[in-house]
Amino acid sequence: MSQTAIIKLKNLKQDYGRGEPVLKEINLEIYQGEFVAIIGQNGAGKTTLIKHLNGLLRPTAGNIFIKGRDIGQEPISVLAQKVGYVFQNPDHQIFMDQVFQEVAFGLKNLSLPPAEIESRTENALKKVGIYHLKDAAPLSLSKGHRQRVALASVLAMEPEIIILDEPTTGQDYLETKQIMDLIADLNKKGHTVIFITHDMQLVAAYAKRVILMGNGEILFDGAPKEVLNRTELLARTNLKPLQITEFSQSLRKYGIPDNIIQVDALVEIFREKTARSRRALVNCG
Amino acid sequence: MDHQVNERIIEVKNLDFTYQGADKPALRGINLTVRKGELIGITGANGAGKTTLSYCLNGLIPSFYEGLFAGEVRIKGRSIFDLSIREISQWVGSVFQDPETQLVSANVEEELAFGPENFGIHPIEIEKRINFALKAVGIEGLRHSTVDALSGGQKQRVAIAAVLAMFPEIIILDEPTAELDPVGTDEVFGVLRRLNREFGLTVIIIEHKIEQLATSCDRLLIMDQGRIVFGGAPDEIFRHWREVHKLGVRLPQVTEFFGKYFGSEPRKLPVTLEEAQALAENLLSLGNGEQDEPNRYY
Repeated sequence: MSQTAIIKLKNLKQDYGRGEPVLKEINLEIYQGEFVAIIGQNGAGKTTLIKHLNGLLRPTAGNIFIKGRDIGQEPISVLAQKVGYVFQNPDHQIFMDQVFQEVAFGLKNLSLPPAEIESRTENALKKVGIYHLKDAAPLSLSKGHRQRVALASVLAMEPEIIILDEPTTGQDYLETKQIMDLIADLNKKGHTVIFITHDMQLVAAYAKRVILMGNGEILFDGAPKEVLNRTELLARTNLKPLQITEFSQSLRKYGIPDNIIQVDALVEIFREKTARSRRALVNCG
Repeated sequence: MDHQVNERIIEVKNLDFTYQGADKPALRGINLTVRKGELIGITGANGAGKTTLSYCLNGLIPSFYEGLFAGEVRIKGRSIFDLSIREISQWVGSVFQDPETQLVSANVEEELAFGPENFGIHPIEIEKRINFALKAVGIEGLRHSTVDALSGGQKQRVAIAAVLAMFPEIIILDEPTAELDPVGTDEVFGVLRRLNREFGLTVIIIEHKIEQLATSCDRLLIMDQGRIVFGGAPDEIFRHWREVHKLGVRLPQVTEFFGKYFGSEPRKLPVTLEEAQALAENLLSLGNGEQDEPNRYY
């Protein structure tokens, strides 16, 4: 398949002008429709990396291509139509005093006809399930809802690429699931999704590809199943396998695979194994 | 030093609290007794009242947040209405989600001296306390570091150390690991367990990270819509894993695993990796002649 990358980073370096590299020399290609998790310790360079993709940061050296075009000094306002960016803290991007106005803001800057602004804003609010809050003041809402306002503002621009920096930090289990299901749905509809997280359960449940970062470098790039069981590699960047993976690894001598990353998968295998032992017991008797 | 065993260090009776201007109560009918030396976890969906309850224990309610208060909160036997925030803060230390908002000094040593200096404690005593606090959280090597240069886990440990330098009897932490990577999270929980075990510090921790809570806590409280709906040892609570899960609480993966494996009615399930391994080995070696019968885990 000869597909061009929707995002291509070539020898990307960033040192924030201090000479000490935060990103060392990143080469990376991401294809249309991918669902990518970026993981790694606090300070690994994850946020620095993704801030280059919509022009929030400009590289110290190297090139960034979006849909085959070097974005060079292309302004954020233009990039925002292709690359949506949701900040870790929604309050860093919310500034209007009404939800509807907040979500419509980016569209107004594009000088679109009012009817289109209205329909795109309404659609975005409906997609994230907060249409009923359209007249509310964003700061009066819960953090989970503010996060959705931020996401709706990005969706209204209808970007092909959606980037989220720790979209579920501080959210409880149900809020986390709602946000991730929503993002997965956008991915199914064709959006390319890149998200940063410390939550390995989300990586196992949602991501199709994992980029593992440590000290400004990519340490691993591949499928979740190929990396989430590699205890030593993960430890290099302050991560560790899921409890269910550690559990399956402790049962290696019983023939349990050591790369289980989902609870349900292990339940199935375990049922099979213990059924056999039970039969053996009956036969011995 | 008070060595009274089983001292009721916190007592909450029939507590209701409604924030001023809110249309429904944040806390309803809370009853809770905390004994000295307990390590208690509080979890539940956002908006369940966890943080509000912590404000009632560290004096922010009623001192800083206005509202309608009914019932009783006693710290070391005294009603919070009879205590100044200054008095409470000598007994109860608080650590918040984001260490950045809590750290006020440029370097670690100054940060640890800040609280005790404000209480007019003698410099020689402060020096002792700094040494104790650094050692207690395992950051002796960072004494002269600038705060900005620290990792998230290190900053949160500095925040805990700064609270410890006040020699509190109780420490309350509100999602102290939300922003930390998994290793940073384990560092913080490790420190809390050690402080609890070695110094008898009473620890109350609000968290979503259920595996760490299940491994560390003597007692777990699950809140929903302003109430404590489950309270007890983690393995008792997770007998009801389905109901707990429905309240928006994650399960330890090993608990979810055995819950699904056994199916059917509530029973005692493993809540830590070690317990799960023991039970799994029992089940797997059954029939290999190693054991006659699996451990009865219920």
